[in-house]
Amino acid sequence: MRKVEWHEEIDSTMRRAGEMASKGCESGTIVGAEVQTAGQGRHGRTWESQQGGLYFTMILRPKVEMRDLPVVTLALGLGVADALQMHAGVSVDLRWPNDVLVGEKKLAGILTVWQEGAILAGIGVNVGQAVFPEELREVATSLALETQKEHDKQFLLRAIAASVESQVRILESSGVNAVLRLFANASSYVSGKRVTVELPAGVVIGTTAGLTPEGFLVVRREDGTEMTVTAGGVRPANNH
Amino acid sequence: MTIEEIRELIQTVCSTGVAELEVQRGENRVWIKRTAGVVTQEIHVPQHAPAASVAAAPAPMHIPPAPAAVTIAAPQAAPAPGDADLTDPTLEAVKSPIVGTFYEAPAPGADAFVHVGDPIKPGKVLCIIESMKLMNEIEAEISGTIVKRLVDNGQPVEYGETLYLVKPN
Repeated sequence: MRKVEWHEEIDSTMRRAGEMASKGCESGTIVGAEVQTAGQGRHGRTWESQQGGLYFTMILRPKVEMRDLPVVTLALGLGVADALQMHAGVSVDLRWPNDVLVGEKKLAGILTVWQEGAILAGIGVNVGQAVFPEELREVATSLALETQKEHDKQFLLRAIAASVESQVRILESSGVNAVLRLFANASSYVSGKRVTVELPAGVVIGTTAGLTPEGFLVVRREDGTEMTVTAGGVRPANNH
Repeated sequence: MTIEEIRELIQTVCSTGVAELEVQRGENRVWIKRTAGVVTQEIHVPQHAPAASVAAAPAPMHIPPAPAAVTIAAPQAAPAPGDADLTDPTLEAVKSPIVGTFYEAPAPGADAFVHVGDPIKPGKVLCIIESMKLMNEIEAEISGTIVKRLVDNGQPVEYGETLYLVKPN
């Protein structure tokens, strides 16, 4: 039986998951909440966690080499995308490394932290939001908006958890290449996409040109030179 | 130009990721060049080749020298950070377990997890290496004191690259 700890309100499921991981909780354990008052995004940003969304952190202890651990983030995106396609009836895209999109709008986001010897996979899915705050309207969507239906969050939670675990098992048993192939099939961002990439050193514009054997994104700049993106925000170039 | 000013220039080069800097003040001219471990864009070659081999450094800030300028040869004064200490057998290296981007703080503008001179003990978070949106918290494995940081905030790091040097207790 999977252990799920559910809160009406919590500051951050990531913080609570860190506590649980440090006490040695089992792989697959979940902590979730109806509302997060201090949801965490990338680099200290906040993750908008309004009523209507599904917010949880899953603690994973994958049996992979340390250097292959980043590929778990691709497997997480694949797992969430598969579950939403299969159980919520939406057609989704994956933006490297693991944003789940409908068109160019974000349906689900994943933040992953390696801490206390475990992966804390923070997953936020926009489920029931009928309207988003002004600043997110152009970039976010929800299952309710896309399907005009209500969706049972606890059912989706279990579907996503099972799907994520099966993708992680593919990584464990078949290796990095298997996950990269699945990702390349599921994502329109792997090749031939004009993108901007935000790096600490500045913004780069180019066209995506596949993944390296480690799963990093190759971007070909307009002058023909190639760069490998190991981390950074990738966006469609026409948004800028 | 005083030694203090030169020292400041060296720090500027080290902290900004500029590969080469030439400055002339009056009759003095200083040229500072970083020679190893320098990469200022997020570029990697797979198979973990040294990052420097693909260095796509920004254009150097170049101030043309005046004809009669006196050159103070500075390369020796600006070693790649930590080169000398890497060979010190009394220091322990903290290495990156993955390829990614080095962050010294949990968020932009936040205080660094550790500073040079800080005491550390096992479990203390030293930095974050981000790789494909996996935030990898690098923890101290030994007790000691941070004596050197070898990577700048926001820089790419290779597998096995040394991040900090620690003097064990």
